[in-house]
Amino acid sequence: MIKTYRMYWEFTRKSFQRSAAYRVDSWSRVLGNVMSLGIWGCIWFALYYGKGSVENISFHSMLSYILISMALQGIHNAGTPLWEIQRRVRTGDIAIELLRPYDYPLRMLFTDLGSMSFYFITAIFPLYTLIFIFFQPNIPLSASQWGLFLLSAVLGYLIRYSLELTFGLFTFWLVETGGVEDIFYFSISLFSGSVVPLWFFPDWLASIASLLPFQGIYFVPNAIFVGELSGQAILPALLNQVIWLLICYGLLRFVWAKASQKVVVQGG
Amino acid sequence: MFESCLRGLKFYFYMVGVSIKTQLQYRYAFVMNILGWAMTYAGTAITMWVMLYSFQTIRGWMFWELLFLFGLSVLSWSICIIFFFHFRNMDEYIVEGTFDRFLVRPIHPFLHVVALKFDVGAFGQLLFSIVALIIAYVQLGLNWQFSQWLIFLGAVIGGTLIQGGMLVLISGVAFWTTRSERLFWTLMWPAKNLMNYPLTIFPRVIQLLVTFVLPFAFVNFLPALLLLGKTKESFAPYWGFFTLPVGIIFFTICLKFWTIGLNHYKSAGS
Repeated sequence: MIKTYRMYWEFTRKSFQRSAAYRVDSWSRVLGNVMSLGIWGCIWFALYYGKGSVENISFHSMLSYILISMALQGIHNAGTPLWEIQRRVRTGDIAIELLRPYDYPLRMLFTDLGSMSFYFITAIFPLYTLIFIFFQPNIPLSASQWGLFLLSAVLGYLIRYSLELTFGLFTFWLVETGGVEDIFYFSISLFSGSVVPLWFFPDWLASIASLLPFQGIYFVPNAIFVGELSGQAILPALLNQVIWLLICYGLLRFVWAKASQKVVVQGG
Repeated sequence: MFESCLRGLKFYFYMVGVSIKTQLQYRYAFVMNILGWAMTYAGTAITMWVMLYSFQTIRGWMFWELLFLFGLSVLSWSICIIFFFHFRNMDEYIVEGTFDRFLVRPIHPFLHVVALKFDVGAFGQLLFSIVALIIAYVQLGLNWQFSQWLIFLGAVIGGTLIQGGMLVLISGVAFWTTRSERLFWTLMWPAKNLMNYPLTIFPRVIQLLVTFVLPFAFVNFLPALLLLGKTKESFAPYWGFFTLPVGIIFFTICLKFWTIGLNHYKSAGS
């Protein structure tokens, strides 16, 4: 058991080192992240211009929301992108992974952990510390709030990871995922509350969003972070995340099992 | 001179024909690609709608005006994609050394790169932008004079040249550095996304930057002020007239830069 984990840990370590070797990559990603933060900051500032609070959310809360949202998105984006998974399926590189004595979805998770932690330590953390000191946004004030936020953020990460990898594995059946892929990305970006929190949705759209797994990715952790989601209300939100994570992970395992068989069939 | 031009054009159309045929070969992928792009942009428009649902306006711009601004930028971008989008990864040819092939062919290397792909997938964007513009036009109850139609036409052509010039400029950098695609994603892409919103919401420095240095403001914002009759913005409305000349000048400069780069080019081959 311990041996297995040591092996997976090795992937994390290697991926961390690899990230350190490609520092330009990391810097350009930081630049992109900061620029979209700037754009969204301006948009929200302009939206609030001349208005006090909208839907009981003040500009300060919204600013805090977009700051933490962009920080989380920065970390999420340091993982293996969807197109990379698709490329491995299309080129058949994934077959080699199947021959090796590890579980591919789990290995990917540990590999991404390496590149993400490198990116977090060298870029996101120092950068956002400065930004937070400058803008003085709402941050969690108690240890328990920090704990709940971190828990929720990790759950959100795992939900997105499961969904995205599952989707990437669909490439086994569909050579061209074009249109479906765009709907998938759109759903993630809108319903996860990555840039527009669910508070501002029309009621009917908000109720659709609450039935989907995506809100657990950014909206719930962000809302906990800025303190708009607090007290008793946190528990059902976390429970919702856990349930969706179980469903998404189950789906991932199911699709992966089917997909590995598919490779065997094609292999010959 | 004239004959070589003619021959170049003949080759160009031949290559474009081949490119279209290869893209049409996979019918399903072809349709999915077009639908996919149309949906991606529709998604952005929906996000704008959701955002403005509670707020109504952003610095005096309501949703339909915003949709018009967005549609106008996507329209010229879609034409730009057809001709120039593949310039963003021209650096791959340089890195792999396959760019050398273009130098020995009986067609100018620039025209050759243009002809490498005739991206039919851009019809997705085209479809979206036309539908968006028509909806916005009807919803806003616009009724353009002939002169405004000319401004619109100028904005589309000029906008294509400005964005195409930008792509040419970025690809030209690769002649020195061998790598340039990242510049597109870190420099041009955010600047483009910036233009989906009224320029006045951004700091003054950025407004000046996209007006005078990288003239993206001429692509959609400045003409939109004229076309939507918005006179109370901090830009004088006549700025919008200049999109076409700015586009021509900017594209010429970028093309010149590209040719200088080409003369500087030393093969990356082993």
